[in-house]
Amino acid sequence: MADPNSPPPSADGSGLDPTALKRRVEAARAQRARRDSPPEPTNASTLALRMGGEFGAAVLVGAGLGFGADHWLQTSPFGLVIGLGLGFITGVVNIVRASSAYSKTHPVDPNAPSVPDDASD
Amino acid sequence: MANDPMHQFQIERLVSFDVNGVDASFSNASLMMVAGAGLATLFLTRAMAPKALVPGRMQVVAEGAYNFIHSMVRDVSGVEGVKKFFPFVFTLFIFIFMSNMLGMFPLFFTPTSQIVVAATLALIVFFTVIIVGFAKNGLKFLRIFVPSGVPLAILPFVAVIEIISFFSRPVSHSVRLWANIFAGHVLLKVFAGFVPMMAAAGFVGVLGSILPFGMTVALYALEFLVAFLQAYVFALLTCIYVNDALHPGHH
Repeated sequence: MADPNSPPPSADGSGLDPTALKRRVEAARAQRARRDSPPEPTNASTLALRMGGEFGAAVLVGAGLGFGADHWLQTSPFGLVIGLGLGFITGVVNIVRASSAYSKTHPVDPNAPSVPDDASD
Repeated sequence: MANDPMHQFQIERLVSFDVNGVDASFSNASLMMVAGAGLATLFLTRAMAPKALVPGRMQVVAEGAYNFIHSMVRDVSGVEGVKKFFPFVFTLFIFIFMSNMLGMFPLFFTPTSQIVVAATLALIVFFTVIIVGFAKNGLKFLRIFVPSGVPLAILPFVAVIEIISFFSRPVSHSVRLWANIFAGHVLLKVFAGFVPMMAAAGFVGVLGSILPFGMTVALYALEFLVAFLQAYVFALLTCIYVNDALHPGHH
């Protein structure tokens, strides 16, 4: 009677097709992420100052550390140049971290309608 | 002169002190910080004095502030964080909040609009994290510079970036508080300054000055939000950093 290859009867129900289930799982996950870390309330200017601050701080600290290394090791321009470059990289890393934390606490609504990739075609 | 938006940040010596050539005068900034700390202490002790089972209005506010920070610390740094750092975070929050709110009064000085104040608070957090991290974890604290799952070949490079990132924390931590408060107060003064300037230009100017006046009122409301928000963000970041000291290597 029972065909082992046939899917379990509940999977035939329209409410449990894989895409809908996936959507529900994602919504539940997003809800949990929201509960785990308290959302940082933000308006646009706060967010802008934050991202700018993260980047600028890293560049300044990188350059400062490089300058300090120059002072100790008497390698005058190179420490500053390398430090500035490393600071720049660190700034980008900081921004990526901050923005991924932001999108974790402010997830896109999983039930939102999809947006077409390109408006022109 | 009266319209100078930077005039509000002028430090004035109220009582002059000189400690071995270091100017340690009691200034208007010091007065406002003492007032902020004093008001916070006074409010919390007075509000909690009845210790009522069914709280009155004041007690609800005090308990609400306590619960708000308590649940934030618990969510971010766990039960251990609450045990060790809740008083520290709550003190920081209430002090910054009171300083910001006092600064909203006209003619009052805003201590948090000085980067020295914000940087000192951020450095206290920074050194607390370092000292507690090493005291609790020993050399294992250095694991925060070594993210897990990084190939050995690029590990030194990543470690250098992590170190720079770690040292940039107090900078961005303090700049976020300072820049928000500073920019907000300058903006407020600039828009408020437009009102007398336009009003001096005759009848049409008086009518037109309603626009910047309305903007000033709206910005004032926004500044109250920012005053609370920045105190909260400062406390939240403190929790995140402190969590690193308790659990290094849990990125």
